[in-house]
Amino acid sequence: MSESTTAASSGTGTAGSNSPIPPSRGMGPWVGFGLAALFAWAALTLDVPQDRLLDLPERLARLGGLMFPPDAEYGRESVLPAMLESIQMAWLGTLIGAVLSLPLGLLGARNLFPALGVPIKALLGLIRVVPELLLAIYLVPVVGLGAFAGTLAIGLHSVGMLGKLSNDIVESMDLSPLEAVTACGGGTLENLRYAVMPQVLPEILALWLFRFEINLRASAVLGVVGAGGIGAVLLNNLSYRRFDKAGAVVVVIVVAVLAIDALSGALRKRLVQS
Amino acid sequence: MSADGSARPIESGAGPTPPPDPWRARVRNGVVALVLGALTAWSVRGTGFDLGELFSNLKQAQRLIDDSLPPAWGFLPRLWDPFLETLQIAYVSAVVGGLIALPLAVLSARPIAPLRAVYLVSRNAMNLLRTMPDLFWAMLFASAVGFGPFAGTLALSVFTVAVVAKLLSESMEAIDLGVLEAVRASGGGWFETVAYGVLPQVLPQYVSYLLYAFELNIRASVVLGLVGAGGVGVVLKSQLAMFDYARVTMIVLAIFVVVLMIETVSEFARRRLVGEIATGRR
Repeated sequence: MSESTTAASSGTGTAGSNSPIPPSRGMGPWVGFGLAALFAWAALTLDVPQDRLLDLPERLARLGGLMFPPDAEYGRESVLPAMLESIQMAWLGTLIGAVLSLPLGLLGARNLFPALGVPIKALLGLIRVVPELLLAIYLVPVVGLGAFAGTLAIGLHSVGMLGKLSNDIVESMDLSPLEAVTACGGGTLENLRYAVMPQVLPEILALWLFRFEINLRASAVLGVVGAGGIGAVLLNNLSYRRFDKAGAVVVVIVVAVLAIDALSGALRKRLVQS
Repeated sequence: MSADGSARPIESGAGPTPPPDPWRARVRNGVVALVLGALTAWSVRGTGFDLGELFSNLKQAQRLIDDSLPPAWGFLPRLWDPFLETLQIAYVSAVVGGLIALPLAVLSARPIAPLRAVYLVSRNAMNLLRTMPDLFWAMLFASAVGFGPFAGTLALSVFTVAVVAKLLSESMEAIDLGVLEAVRASGGGWFETVAYGVLPQVLPQYVSYLLYAFELNIRASVVLGLVGAGGVGVVLKSQLAMFDYARVTMIVLAIFVVVLMIETVSEFARRRLVGEIATGRR
């Protein structure tokens, strides 16, 4: 049986094994039609006022005109401190996430600890589903309003993504140094210290930096639920219709995020290269 | 060894690489540790970070748990409509944003953009869009067009454009350029090159990025309501304002289940798509 199939495939030549699978257009148009119909239904039943859709450019231009030029003095005196608080929250939150996720990242790697992989990956998956904002909703009543609650929320949420990607990094490493350490009589701890960490640390550090960039954006919005940072400043100024002050917030956050992204990106590139 | 030694200076552009000097490395590591330590200390002071406070407030946590459990199951039927709105916002903005992202990605992919100036402008505009968090867009659009799902849809559309255009333009920069040459050689202009050379190559990635954007949108759209931009977050906000944590917990649980379900389906679809790319290429 197996002989005949190999004979058949070699008989038809390379075309049999290498020719592309014929495109199956059977379901394609139907799926497309279904998605388009779903879009039409969703867009039409969504509460979108027709007139606002039409004069959207005008409204945006008017808002832009009100926000710029921004209130520079307010930006220096009130927005900058709030932005610094957001940066502090993001930094500390990333550290918490890093410290908590490193052991999970190592223990959940299937090539090191096969038995622990499934439960740890499931746990990390569950953590990732709960956004920082929802965590903050429960942390604020416990530790009070302010940056501490936001920092904890960022830290806890970061564990999910950092743990998962650390797992991936550890699982794709070279296993031969492990063998060498074991051959020299090293146990699990020696293996982690001398075979695993030197290999994965640069990539994991780069990952932490990347998460810091994400957390900076997250910390900026946590103020919406009273968990500190710059978000509350924007929300308050917009709701009191002080648009020139809101413009100052937008300018500060765009400049700060661009600067930190550039710095962190450069550091990441160096880490991964060396 | 010598090849390594001669290649490095050209890369770094500064003289021959000095032999590794343990003291220099130690000093550098020390300075880095000092800077990071100072940054951390500054952050601890600035955020009022205090684990002792966390543990001394355990009584508070106990009260919160008592308030939150059991969740208000009776509230569940009233969540149906807000959830539907959330899903609609996420879907509509994924489609709208995805469609706008396609031409923008073409313009901000280096080998494909018609002019270098167009590439630079488009690329930098993308980066600028991505600096603002999704909820900030929602706040701004709510100020421009008023509270409601329209503001949320606009915000997530912008967000989708930024994410999809960036990922897609990166995919376009990594395609097989030989195909473009073939289209040009058979007399195709810029438009034909994009239509027959570029798009077929990135189509699977495009669909996969759309699904990814949809997942991100779902997660974002559940909290849009906190700033008045529609969806289930509106209900969440009003229950939070009344400190009705049994209902809040019901909403959070429902969000948890819905997000988990959609992500599982979407991830499955994405993995199949990426699998098809892998088998199709080989």
